[in-house]
Amino acid sequence: MSDHEELESSVAAWVLGALEADEAASIRVHVEGCATCQQTAARLGRAAAALPLEVEEISPPARLRERVYVAAAAARASTVPSAPARKRVVPARGRWKPAASIPFGPLPVLVAAATVVLALLIGLAAGNVIGRNSVPPAAAQVARYQLVGHGTLAGARGTVVNLKVEGVALVDFSGLPPLAKGKVYQLWLITPGGHPDSAAVFVPDSNGGKVVLVGLPLNGYSQMAVTAEDAPNGSPAPSQQPELYGNLG
Amino acid sequence: MELYDRYAGLSYAVAMRVLGDPARAEDVVQEAFLKIWTNAAGFDPKKGSLRTWLITAVRNRSIDYLRGRGAHERQELELQPDLASTSAHSDPWHEVSLGLERAAVREAVGSLPAEQRQAVQLAYFGGYSQSEIAGITHVPLSTVKGRMRLALEKLSSYLLGRGLVGV
Repeated sequence: MSDHEELESSVAAWVLGALEADEAASIRVHVEGCATCQQTAARLGRAAAALPLEVEEISPPARLRERVYVAAAAARASTVPSAPARKRVVPARGRWKPAASIPFGPLPVLVAAATVVLALLIGLAAGNVIGRNSVPPAAAQVARYQLVGHGTLAGARGTVVNLKVEGVALVDFSGLPPLAKGKVYQLWLITPGGHPDSAAVFVPDSNGGKVVLVGLPLNGYSQMAVTAEDAPNGSPAPSQQPELYGNLG
Repeated sequence: MELYDRYAGLSYAVAMRVLGDPARAEDVVQEAFLKIWTNAAGFDPKKGSLRTWLITAVRNRSIDYLRGRGAHERQELELQPDLASTSAHSDPWHEVSLGLERAAVREAVGSLPAEQRQAVQLAYFGGYSQSEIAGITHVPLSTVKGRMRLALEKLSSYLLGRGLVGV
């Protein structure tokens, strides 16, 4: 069998994506220089492209539309060069313990002045580098984490979808109990050192669900947690122990 | 979101066909739509329709999830020219034309001999290489190559005969 015949015999597999990367590279080079194989690849490729049409359409969950909508809006925002960098909220008090110590111990009431200054410096420095990148990375990546409820939030769950490319994350909550009057849920990102940054404030729908956009890259954070805080803007620092939390990685 | 409303059902169905996992299928569909929106400038209509671009992205990412490997480790399914009728109809005819295409494709795939149908489905929806398919089906590699070639040639002829492939 000649080289041409050998390579042509794999054109069908090539258009079906059924070759190893090195084999595909060899075929591609050959097809680019072989008119006969170009015609074959075009003909078979159209047939291969029709294959997904044999699948019976399935209506996705309604919440997926919301997720896509929010993520698309965030992605569009991330491509605006003049978009201002987001600043971290520097907590007025409180230092949460890192992942190894969940569930959290009693919150310290006072923080040493040196710690506040250090946190402020870290927060300002981080704010300078959190600005959105106007050029999307080449490879899309998504990571998922779970938040699990405890205590009064035992039935609550949160699925974190980290859209690394967009530098944002979506948190899909379910099973959240109704809030007391004058309260909102507040989402916190926690550094390995126990520094909490406010990520979002939200109120769940009547079914206890909500998709929340976190407009911050999760890099540098080890945990995510939820507390109930005062409406409408939440608190500068968590006022209670979290009962819904999980590790980021 | 018009694009989403039009193709979310097909995208989700393809992801479910590959993955069989609703949660992962949702992630894949979301990621595919974002890829389309964030890389719109890279879209070349000469290489295929937006639908094919989207579905190819869904298929490739689903296979990545399924096989637990990165794109650099395997062949990415490349964008292929679309069925001729896809872009020929205006919106009011979209559902009708898509329905006709799908009926024709189902009929065409259904008419293939079982072993040929299995070969192309293992490749497209299973993400298996031709060598892996040879091992799974216990036949020589040359036989797998022949089955894939025959299946796609028949599918092409069938669709061409119905005016659905612009060869």
